Amino acid sequence: MKLAPNEKGVLMEFTDDRIASKLITMGVFPGTTIELVRYAPFKGGCYVKVDNRAIAIRRDEAQCILLQA
Amino acid sequence: MTSTVQTTTIALVGNPNSGKSSLFNQLTGLRQKVGNFPGVTVDRKVGKMKLSNSQDVQVIDFPGTYSLYPNSEDERIVAAAFCDLDEAHRLDAIIYVADSTHLEKHLLLFTQLHDLGYPMLLALSMNDIAVREGIAVDQEKLSEELGVEIIAFDGRTALANAEIQSAIERLLEQPEHTQQKPFYSFSEAEKEVITAIKADVNTKNDYQALLLAHHQNWLPHLRETQRSSIQQATEKVDFQSLKWQIRETMQRYDGFNTIVRKVFQRVGEDRTFSDRIDQILTHRFWGVLIFFALMLLVFQAIFAWAGYPQDAVEEVFGWASTQLQDRLPDTWYTSLLTDGILPGLAGVLVFVPQIAILFLLIALLEEVGYMARAVFLFDRLMQHFGMNGRSVVALISGGACAIPAIMSTRTISDWKERLITIMVTPFISCSARIPVYVVLVAFVVPAGKVGFISWQALAFMGLYLLGIGTAFVAAWILKKVLKAESYSFLLLELPKYRTPRLRDVALTVWEKVKSFVTEAGRIILIVSMALWFLASYGPGDKMEIAEQNAVEQAAERNLSSEERDNLIAAQRIENSYAGIVGKAIEPVIRPLGFDWKIGIALVTSFAAREVFVGTMATIYSIGSEEDEYKIQEQMAKEKHADTGQPVYTMAVAWSLLIFYVLAMQCVSTLAVVKKETNSWKWPAIQFIGMTILAYLASLLTYQILS
Repeated sequence: MKLAPNEKGVLMEFTDDRIASKLITMGVFPGTTIELVRYAPFKGGCYVKVDNRAIAIRRDEAQCILLQA
Repeated sequence: MTSTVQTTTIALVGNPNSGKSSLFNQLTGLRQKVGNFPGVTVDRKVGKMKLSNSQDVQVIDFPGTYSLYPNSEDERIVAAAFCDLDEAHRLDAIIYVADSTHLEKHLLLFTQLHDLGYPMLLALSMNDIAVREGIAVDQEKLSEELGVEIIAFDGRTALANAEIQSAIERLLEQPEHTQQKPFYSFSEAEKEVITAIKADVNTKNDYQALLLAHHQNWLPHLRETQRSSIQQATEKVDFQSLKWQIRETMQRYDGFNTIVRKVFQRVGEDRTFSDRIDQILTHRFWGVLIFFALMLLVFQAIFAWAGYPQDAVEEVFGWASTQLQDRLPDTWYTSLLTDGILPGLAGVLVFVPQIAILFLLIALLEEVGYMARAVFLFDRLMQHFGMNGRSVVALISGGACAIPAIMSTRTISDWKERLITIMVTPFISCSARIPVYVVLVAFVVPAGKVGFISWQALAFMGLYLLGIGTAFVAAWILKKVLKAESYSFLLLELPKYRTPRLRDVALTVWEKVKSFVTEAGRIILIVSMALWFLASYGPGDKMEIAEQNAVEQAAERNLSSEERDNLIAAQRIENSYAGIVGKAIEPVIRPLGFDWKIGIALVTSFAAREVFVGTMATIYSIGSEEDEYKIQEQMAKEKHADTGQPVYTMAVAWSLLIFYVLAMQCVSTLAVVKKETNSWKWPAIQFIGMTILAYLASLLTYQILS
């Protein structure tokens, strides 16, 4: 997931099945729009918004999300 | 099976932040019990409620989870409960709680449970927020589509109990539906696995058989024969657990979202209120600053405000003790009562204000929705040390008292992160260390100032920093040493901010205080009585002889009656078992610069660190422990009997200070660690590890300085 804060993208696929299964369970799946709201301090995780829901994910977890070009 | 009639059991299930616990509190009130699920320290909340037809029903509040495919220990509890093949553990019906403002995300688990064939009631929560946000849910239509009865409720305008009760009564009359169309249609490979499993294992239905195939490796209650036949069944086909889960989940979402679109309407904009607050509270600078300001408030509350009720507890017990001493005959049982049991009880109750205040504030922050933000802010930083964002709260609270701090780690779902937090929290200097620091720092550090900061304050700060630093180093080492069993995720939902429900907050506080008093309190009381025995009894008639000697000495030296009593107390404790232990450990603590008198204080202050000062006062025959100046004066005068050198040199005092920073001198904390980790192993490791570390550090300090 290569987004700058306040940028949006459409989720295309995941590169890690384990994280995919967890994110899909939370309703984050291919085709949904994902917005990076901000980063946490200390090189921390990402505050993202998906369908009106705010979710915190680690950066390495975000790495597994591929967006549509 | 036993002959007793089984109570009807209802499972309360839902996603995290669904408002499930609030409904649980409303249904059961104070008639709830918190225990552990077998083998793990995940809260198992069970409550009782009486229906209008006077039937008693048991309600289990399961941990919030998104799916029957678990990722953490507490989510596994839910999956295990619904895969349990034992009839004795049967759940009769399910109340499923879903957030009506996020219906499109909250029904996945519902469809899974539905496919298991349970009678279900759907409780839509956050009704008030839904109205405020302009959300309309066509309940009648939803009920028709899902095939279940629906009730709607919210935290404040509580749903009339009568309405819930009659819904539950109707729910319990429903038979298990075996005929209803499942939400999920199996693939050919899945059908094959299910058929193979059902041939050998007696499952409830097809979907449960499929879940067994996915969870065969960890389900706790499967017999080995069952496990091996399930394994054989999955080996026949190309079984790919993760891929199949993803396929199933996607299909379920497609299915229920078609329904949700028909019944769900949103007019207004969502979340703008929470988003605005988060711009500040999760800001990389302001967010961190506000967090520390909040923690300062928490710290101040435990540290200072708890002081008043604590003093009251001590005063009441002190008064009771004098009253009893005056009225009862001067025998062993009076002494046991006034010097063993009452101080033990006081030692338990004195922590109650701190525990109550900390959990009041933590529960408020949790209810409002703030805690998830704190985790987001500090997750990365704490990850370096094998901990979790929530660990920050425990570590800071540990500055007041390790006991509520360790109890607060229950909210950390990853076992390894939680364990590390529990293990290192006692390194943070708690308020009980302060009296010890006060006496010793004043003794070794001159009263002068550098600029406007006094040397003594700097020394104090140094001691605190030493504790904090050690906690992080220890955490880092534990992170490397402990094997991680689970794959750690963050993936945390940040719920909307909302006003806290006072009933839920009050119940949390009540439950924490109760569990501390009943469980940890027992151990603390037993140890206080053991310490009383050690300090009041000696072998044979040695203590009587010592007392007689003291009386004679006092007469010779013409001492006042108060001085005489102090001298007797000092001579008695020297000849008690505690004195013998102190003398026995002297060779071991001599390299640290400690003599047997300090040894006695080390032994007795194991009950609680602040006892150190009181014991020193007794040993040096100073009546009142309040008089710190007198203790210092006596310490300065104290000389080694053999060499005539002063006992308390700079080196000894610093060595003792370092020892108190690092050593696990608190039986109450160990009792709580035992309770929280559900084993004696971790408190034992903690005690031995911290004591060895304290010993080595003191040794080094003494050898360098002397």
